[in-house]
Amino acid sequence: MTILAGSTETTGVAARAAHAVKVYGKGDTEVRALDGVTVEFARGAFTAIMGPSGSGKSTLMHCLAGLDSLTSGQVVIGGTDLSTLDDKRLTVLRRDRVGFVFQSYNLVPTLTALENIVLPATLAGRKPDQAWLDNVIDTVRLRDRLTHRPSELSGGQQQRVAVARAMAGQPDIIFADEPTGNLDSRTGTEILDFMRKAVDELGQTVVMVTHDPVAAAHADRVVFLADGRVVDELLEPTAEGVLDRMKKLGD
Amino acid sequence: MFKTTIKGLLAQKLRFALTGLAVLLGVSFMAGTMILTDTVKASFDGLFTEVNRGTDAVVRAKGALSSDFGGETRGRVPETLVDTVSAVPGVGQAEGFVQGFAQLVDRKGKALGNPDQGAPTLGMSWGRTQSLNPFRLSSGHAPDGPTEVVIDRGSAKKGHFKAGDKIKVLTKGPTREFTVAGIARFGDADSPLGASIASFDLATAQQVIGEPGTVDQVVAVADSGLSQDKLAAAIRDALPADSVEVLTGAQYTKENQSDIGKGLSFFNAFLLTFAMVALFVGAFIIYNTFGIVVAQRTRELALLRALGASRRQVLRSVLGEAVVVGLVASFAGLVVGIGVASGLKALLQALGIDIPATGTVIKTGTVVVSMLTGTLVTVFSAVMPARRAGRIAPVAAMRDVAVENTSRSTRRAVAGAVVTGLGALLLVAGLVGSGGSALPKVGLGAAVMFVGVAVLGPVLARPLTLALGWPIARLRGVSGALAKQNALRNPKRTSATAAALTVGVGLVGFITIFAASAKVSINDTIDKAMRADLVLQGHFSSGVSPALADSVRKVDGVDSASGIRVGQAEIDGGTKQITAVDPASIANLFDVGITAGSLTGLDKGIAVYTGIADQQHWKVGDVLHVRFPETGVKDLALVATFDRKDVAGNYVVSTGTYDANFADHLDFAVYVKLAKGADGAGVRTQLQRIVDTDYPSVKLQDRTEFKKAQARQIDQMLNLIYALLLLAVLIAVIGIANTLALSIYERTRELGLLRAVGMTRGQLRSTVRWESVIIALFGTVLGLVIGAFFGWSMVKALADEGFTTFRLPVGSLLTVAVLAALAGVAAAIGPARRSAKLDVLAAISAP
Repeated sequence: MTILAGSTETTGVAARAAHAVKVYGKGDTEVRALDGVTVEFARGAFTAIMGPSGSGKSTLMHCLAGLDSLTSGQVVIGGTDLSTLDDKRLTVLRRDRVGFVFQSYNLVPTLTALENIVLPATLAGRKPDQAWLDNVIDTVRLRDRLTHRPSELSGGQQQRVAVARAMAGQPDIIFADEPTGNLDSRTGTEILDFMRKAVDELGQTVVMVTHDPVAAAHADRVVFLADGRVVDELLEPTAEGVLDRMKKLGD
Repeated sequence: MFKTTIKGLLAQKLRFALTGLAVLLGVSFMAGTMILTDTVKASFDGLFTEVNRGTDAVVRAKGALSSDFGGETRGRVPETLVDTVSAVPGVGQAEGFVQGFAQLVDRKGKALGNPDQGAPTLGMSWGRTQSLNPFRLSSGHAPDGPTEVVIDRGSAKKGHFKAGDKIKVLTKGPTREFTVAGIARFGDADSPLGASIASFDLATAQQVIGEPGTVDQVVAVADSGLSQDKLAAAIRDALPADSVEVLTGAQYTKENQSDIGKGLSFFNAFLLTFAMVALFVGAFIIYNTFGIVVAQRTRELALLRALGASRRQVLRSVLGEAVVVGLVASFAGLVVGIGVASGLKALLQALGIDIPATGTVIKTGTVVVSMLTGTLVTVFSAVMPARRAGRIAPVAAMRDVAVENTSRSTRRAVAGAVVTGLGALLLVAGLVGSGGSALPKVGLGAAVMFVGVAVLGPVLARPLTLALGWPIARLRGVSGALAKQNALRNPKRTSATAAALTVGVGLVGFITIFAASAKVSINDTIDKAMRADLVLQGHFSSGVSPALADSVRKVDGVDSASGIRVGQAEIDGGTKQITAVDPASIANLFDVGITAGSLTGLDKGIAVYTGIADQQHWKVGDVLHVRFPETGVKDLALVATFDRKDVAGNYVVSTGTYDANFADHLDFAVYVKLAKGADGAGVRTQLQRIVDTDYPSVKLQDRTEFKKAQARQIDQMLNLIYALLLLAVLIAVIGIANTLALSIYERTRELGLLRAVGMTRGQLRSTVRWESVIIALFGTVLGLVIGAFFGWSMVKALADEGFTTFRLPVGSLLTVAVLAALAGVAAAIGPARRSAKLDVLAAISAP
């Protein structure tokens, strides 16, 4: 496995899961949320994870991001095997090498937009890279909102702040969990465009969980999950193509 | 609706447990105080019943003056009265009884027991009539003759004395040596309530502790079959009614009991004051908790409204919770109070105040008052939050959870300032005024001021939190910055939480400032008005023989020495304390600041404090009618007025006048002035030798030691009050913990987010801890400001009583602030741990 882990660095893989199993409960109530998932996420790519509810897509993301632990198997981010890390090191890994965009409640209400964007760096006691930060802020067009608090921002603006925060630390990988789920379609598209730009122009790696085929169509590749297993994959997806596959999974 | 009430309570177990704890602590202290007082009272009642069991009638001099703390001063009666009483038909036995001060001295020459604050040291005559004597010999025989004494078995054990041993006893005169004739027990106890007893035969007792030819009382036993009432009536008929009074044994016992009751009620009121403070602090916490819980349950309550619950039903459901919390907590408090009673007793004992208490007395009154007060305080504090709950609109069910909104700050600022001002006025009015309403006014004024400042709190919260949080944010980085922001996000909550601590710290600050000012003022008085070089301080409750002053005067190098005596007399219709000094040496010893006349004529006159003389329009040369308890009205010419009443009190007479009018001639202290050029150390050594041989209970002090001794007395009181205020502070700390726990619950998702994006557990704990410290410091700063105001107005109001200087003890107050910050850290322990334990995923997906 160490050979594999070492190889991810050279082969341009940002994160990978190998034989990932996650079991909740015991005996009769046992649920296998992940049932041996092996998947890789290429550096500099935008990947969408799709699947019907209960397919394990959120669980997979949580385990990939170090928010939850596997029952067995392995998750590697940027060459680090997460199963070897204790809570403190996991926290530091999330802070320094992972970016997050959640569906809602992404921001600390007492901090301004800028303070939210640089929060991981502040938590680490670091100064953010100013040139990169400017770049990110301009990409998500937040320059004139930096001193506002979350309560003074619209839902779309809040989500843009979240995207900016995810990118600000130049992480190995950004995880987005239904980032457009709470937005109207126009604002949602805007956010997806920003994430697309982050990948194309800033070289970021994004993994997004979604159930929306239109959102998934913004990705380079779609991974389909069902019953805790990877069942399909689609490159250069279109909304119609994704919908088609989803329908098949539903059958 | 009742079911929803109970379910609501169960759903918020922790919060209500903490709220209940605030009530519980206050109630337990109150119940504990009442239980302790009742227990002590019952112990004394039992004791007096025991002591007077065989006594059917008591004959004594008529009381002349009543004192403020119960009891009367009265003179003695001639011993011939014993025969007169014996001759009354129906009297079986009658004998004279003498009681006074006698201090047993151990083999090392030290006073036996703890005479400074402990049980009394009594001397008395040995009752020859079995039924008139509560003591029973356990070894040896009754005292007989001028060299024999019977001592209590408690003292005998402590000092390892047995019958036949020699023992030194200190009485009115110098120490005398006696032979222990016997050891006696008091009923079943080795000594009555730990008092030490020296019992002599009547003639010896008269000589060493009383006055030859007189007795304090004549006690009598009736012939069998005759009732106490009939006996007393018969004796009364045989005696002159104008000078003596006759009581039945039962009346006498009742009087003893009620005197103790009066003394205890003062003690009771003193302790209950602190229980009230604790409950007052608890009220803030209840108010705050219910407020937060109602805000957090807005959606749930709105849903109830949407489903058809009326305003009144919602209001009642919240009040119902308060009733249940109040009842449960009050009952628990009552139970804990039993433990508190013994804890209080231990505390007082540790501070040197030994009180008797056997068994545990819980009266119905204690139960009713405790339950009622606890429940009412809880319900009353929950009224405002309940009304707010009732006003929640049904539509709020559809909205996001609303946070408590702060009402417009100008209105609040004005209202808060007005209430605070009213409180201050009331307080000052109470301080300036006098009479029965003064103290309640001061207390109410202080309470109103605290409420006023609590109303102002949310307005002050922002600037103060910013100021207090700034250094923390600078020093503690992101945790400090977030802590500051969190403390700022809900000023109403922050200030309501801090308000509880404000009360505790305010009182601590006040008492600290007051004590510091008192010490400075006393030192100031000693520096300016005391010319004596050495002070021989007698036992506080008994004084010291005038022979000491005589011996001191004979020592080489002593320029002059005067004993100071105090007694009570009636002047201008009221009982006043008068001080007696030696007119010849007073000028060498004190500077009382003569404003008119001179002290040279004091031999036959009286000197009065200027303030009183002016008020009464007395002029030097006027004649004052002074009624002494033993000798009746005497005319004394006003020879001088003076303006330092902090030295010798309001009224000063000569030792001669005192001796002519009081039977007991005991000095309270002896002040000594050294001759010019005298060898101070040498004189001191000689004086110490006199003290060591003959006056073991006397303390010899130079000016520095005298000052220190005064300061020590203040410190002792201060420590007692600190200990009693600790409860209020503890409750306030619980309040902070409670608010933090509720806030953390509310911020679950936010905490989850922070943990997700990389905040470590340590950083999160630190954030909670610093928020707690900011709240604690906010409450402390307000408290110290109020405390300083209390202290200042108190010192100003007491300027006439010798409070010359207002002193802000900066060091002590800083210590208070540091301790408050540490209390904040302690309050945060639980909430910080809980917040750090949150499961990140569960937190972030929390509703």
